[in-house]
Amino acid sequence: MTALVTVAQVAKQFPLAGGNSYLALQGINLEIQRGEFISFIGHSGCGKSTLLNMIAGLDQPTHGQVWVGGRLVKQPGPDRMVVFQNYSLLPWLTVWDNIALAVEEVLGHLSPVEQRQIIQQHINLVGLTAAKDKLPAHLSGGMRQRVAIARALAIRPEVLLLDEPFGALDALTRGNLQEQLMRICEEHQVTTVMVTHDVDEAVFLSDRIVMLTNGPGSQIGNILTVDIPRPRRRMEVVKHPSYYSLRSEIIYFLNQQKRIKKMRSRAMTAVARHGLEKVNLELGFVPLTACAPLAVAQEKGLFAKHGLDEVHLVRESSWRGIVDGLVGGYLDAAQTPAGLPVWLTLGGHQDKPLPIVSSLTMTRNGNGITLAQKFYQQGIHTASQLRNYLQEQTEPHILGMVHPASMHNLLLRYWLAAAGIDPDRDVRLKTIPPAQMVADLKAGTIDGYCVGEPWNVRAALEGLGFTVATDQELWLDHPAKVLGVREDWGMRYPNTHIALVKALLEACHYCDQPQHREEIRHLLARPEYLGTDVRYIYLGEPGKLTCELNQPEYAHHRFYGEGLNRPSRTEHLWIMTQLARWGDVPFPRNWLEILERVCRVNVFTIAARELGLLGTTQTSRSPIRLFDGSEFTSNQDPIDYLNHLAIKRDFSVAEIVLERPQAA
Amino acid sequence: MNDIFRKVNPMQTLTPVTPETTVATADVLTFTNVTKRYGALVVLDGVNLRIKSGEFICIIGHSGCGKSTLLNLAGGFIQPSGGEVRLRDKIITKPGPDRMVVFQNYSLLPWLTVFENVFLAVDAVYPRKRLPEKRAMVREYLNLVGLGEAMEKKPPQISGGMKQRVAIARALAIQPQVLLLDEPFGALDAITKEELQEELLTIWNRSKATVLMITHDIDEALFLADRLVMMTNGPAATIGEILTIPFDRPRNREQILEDPRYYDLRNQALSFLYERFAHQE
Repeated sequence: MTALVTVAQVAKQFPLAGGNSYLALQGINLEIQRGEFISFIGHSGCGKSTLLNMIAGLDQPTHGQVWVGGRLVKQPGPDRMVVFQNYSLLPWLTVWDNIALAVEEVLGHLSPVEQRQIIQQHINLVGLTAAKDKLPAHLSGGMRQRVAIARALAIRPEVLLLDEPFGALDALTRGNLQEQLMRICEEHQVTTVMVTHDVDEAVFLSDRIVMLTNGPGSQIGNILTVDIPRPRRRMEVVKHPSYYSLRSEIIYFLNQQKRIKKMRSRAMTAVARHGLEKVNLELGFVPLTACAPLAVAQEKGLFAKHGLDEVHLVRESSWRGIVDGLVGGYLDAAQTPAGLPVWLTLGGHQDKPLPIVSSLTMTRNGNGITLAQKFYQQGIHTASQLRNYLQEQTEPHILGMVHPASMHNLLLRYWLAAAGIDPDRDVRLKTIPPAQMVADLKAGTIDGYCVGEPWNVRAALEGLGFTVATDQELWLDHPAKVLGVREDWGMRYPNTHIALVKALLEACHYCDQPQHREEIRHLLARPEYLGTDVRYIYLGEPGKLTCELNQPEYAHHRFYGEGLNRPSRTEHLWIMTQLARWGDVPFPRNWLEILERVCRVNVFTIAARELGLLGTTQTSRSPIRLFDGSEFTSNQDPIDYLNHLAIKRDFSVAEIVLERPQAA
Repeated sequence: MNDIFRKVNPMQTLTPVTPETTVATADVLTFTNVTKRYGALVVLDGVNLRIKSGEFICIIGHSGCGKSTLLNLAGGFIQPSGGEVRLRDKIITKPGPDRMVVFQNYSLLPWLTVFENVFLAVDAVYPRKRLPEKRAMVREYLNLVGLGEAMEKKPPQISGGMKQRVAIARALAIQPQVLLLDEPFGALDAITKEELQEELLTIWNRSKATVLMITHDIDEALFLADRLVMMTNGPAATIGEILTIPFDRPRNREQILEDPRYYDLRNQALSFLYERFAHQE
């Protein structure tokens, strides 16, 4: 199927006074199919209106081409009608006459009777039959914009182009007009491109949302597909499990653009001091109970103790933020899910392998699988009971997880698959930020999730769900959060890297001591960390191991101990097999090299020795033991292991070519 | 007045509550069985609302729901046809400097500088204060809204966001008991709007004013308000439901998005406005 609109390699430069020029857009490639509704969203100055104008033919690209309906766009034409924010109606003409003017101009070859029919039909379409003889000044803003839309549609364009059509209206009037516009576009299969800065408007109306980065040189940052079925009704859209995920994805993107702008304006120069290459560090974390070591290292002065006296903790709401921070180089280091270093190294992010080093496992356990309360009431207390239940169901069941490379995803999938539930076919897994999971569970739009604490215990305490499995039932003492830095960063700042591991290992040691638990719980509850009620935060041993509604159990964390903090090749290898198993990334033929690059045991060992914490440097030779009785050892053939797993995707094996290690 | 300390830091609720701040006397603004008719047209019917000192109240509803009428009643610009509106224990009969209004269109005098616009209001309300004192007040409030550098500019030379900052500074410089905001950020772009919302909260914290604000934006209300008053549709509109917004202060936009209660409240408000009291022009 050929696209109706094709934007190919488009760039747009504007000449400035003094012979300079401003690059507004660059490298824009986009295909729009007939009948699609596309939104452009971005901050002011991102070039979204410029892009629309080039499709309209009101402006010409400096490089590249725009095609509509197989013709190169060189000038405006009636096949592409634009509706602007300010209505552009002629104030001395009535509603009817404003539309008639356009119809006569473009459809003058039709008989007057036919023309009148078209005018009447479109006035009816936008619900202005009673107002057809009124002048624009006698209409509300919403009604004027409906006239402008009727006028644009009356001449039957191939593409309707809307430039912030509802920008001048209040939010509620806007909401009403959006519903009308959607109905018209759905009924008439109009291909529509809309510029907007309103996140809800974009999600509600669009099939795809094109997000533009900030200028100069704006590009398409990402394109989101809105998988909410049509016809759409507002409250059904709001209750759809994708709605808040899409919304937060766009808000995240827009906030990220704002931050990048700030980052650019204050370039970070390394401050060397105390024999360390860099003491000013930006450390990323996600507000989970597992961030305790970072919070403790900061609050107890452990970073400063090891010479890192300008550490700034950067709170991110999702793992996406951590990924972007490491990839973009504006985080020096971060707390990451155990699978993230391998995932990034193998090219999980945008298919670009980026070597990430892990030299410290900061926490183990702390994850759980929660199911909605209704399952408990129906006697579903185990994975196999869930499988039997699912076999009798026809409608899809949705489970939430936080990131493809998180242990939550891998453990949830393993747990399901071990019981014979295919995590892609028998249920649907969705990436959802933790806070929304609880809200979604309450609204009944998801059936459960796998996430770190405090979100399992919270669902249980609020009577929304129950923890069907914790670490105890999955893989006791599995790695949960590790320290991740870019390999090039580690090579550029080797002594800083060691100092950072020392500070955090000492913090892990502190977190492990029972007499500090209460203090840490209250520390974590503070707004700059978790910002939640302290009753949701637990650190110690769980009281019970079986699921029970009255006695919510919680996943317990382990922060420190023999063989617990040292990065483990076996564990990272197992993670590699699981990422490949579900088709996220290929299994690397050069897995030995990848393990060597990711696991930096030497950095850990130096740090532990310098701290005198020699007990932690022991290598654990024991195999990984999972709840289903299977074992995974360091000398196992990983491809053979993968082949023997019953439920899996068609995984691929490929050589992952990494650049030679070098300092940034 | 101790209420203000509660807002600064919810962890420090140790400030003793003095006996006079009991529920009855803490109400600053009260609507009791308020009805407003224009001829045969009933705009508001049976509105009851008690607003406590230092509270931030947002009112939301479709056009024609009488929310501006409600604000005008509080401002004393119009009188109720039935019932009464009181400021503390006094029935409101006319406008006064104890209740300042900020409109969407800024209402600045274009031929006066930013400084002079604010000074004009201060001078009118405090004619007996000494000149240096009045000038200091103007400067203080302009600095508060971050306009210390722009005092000598005239309105046509500054952005919409800056104009609205001037209007807010002008209203606050009078030190009113109640600040009435009629969709103050409706005309601003998304980023400026968010900045101003954050500034408004900071200023509100310092000024101790009680705020009654009209908005069409659910997210704005969830970020700003202690309570969100949702109006039914006109004619004969009234308060349909009041949502209590429990987020701790000072508020952080990103952290609100991490709170499951946000999604709950937002869905309740959406459902009220688009299902239960949907509205077509």
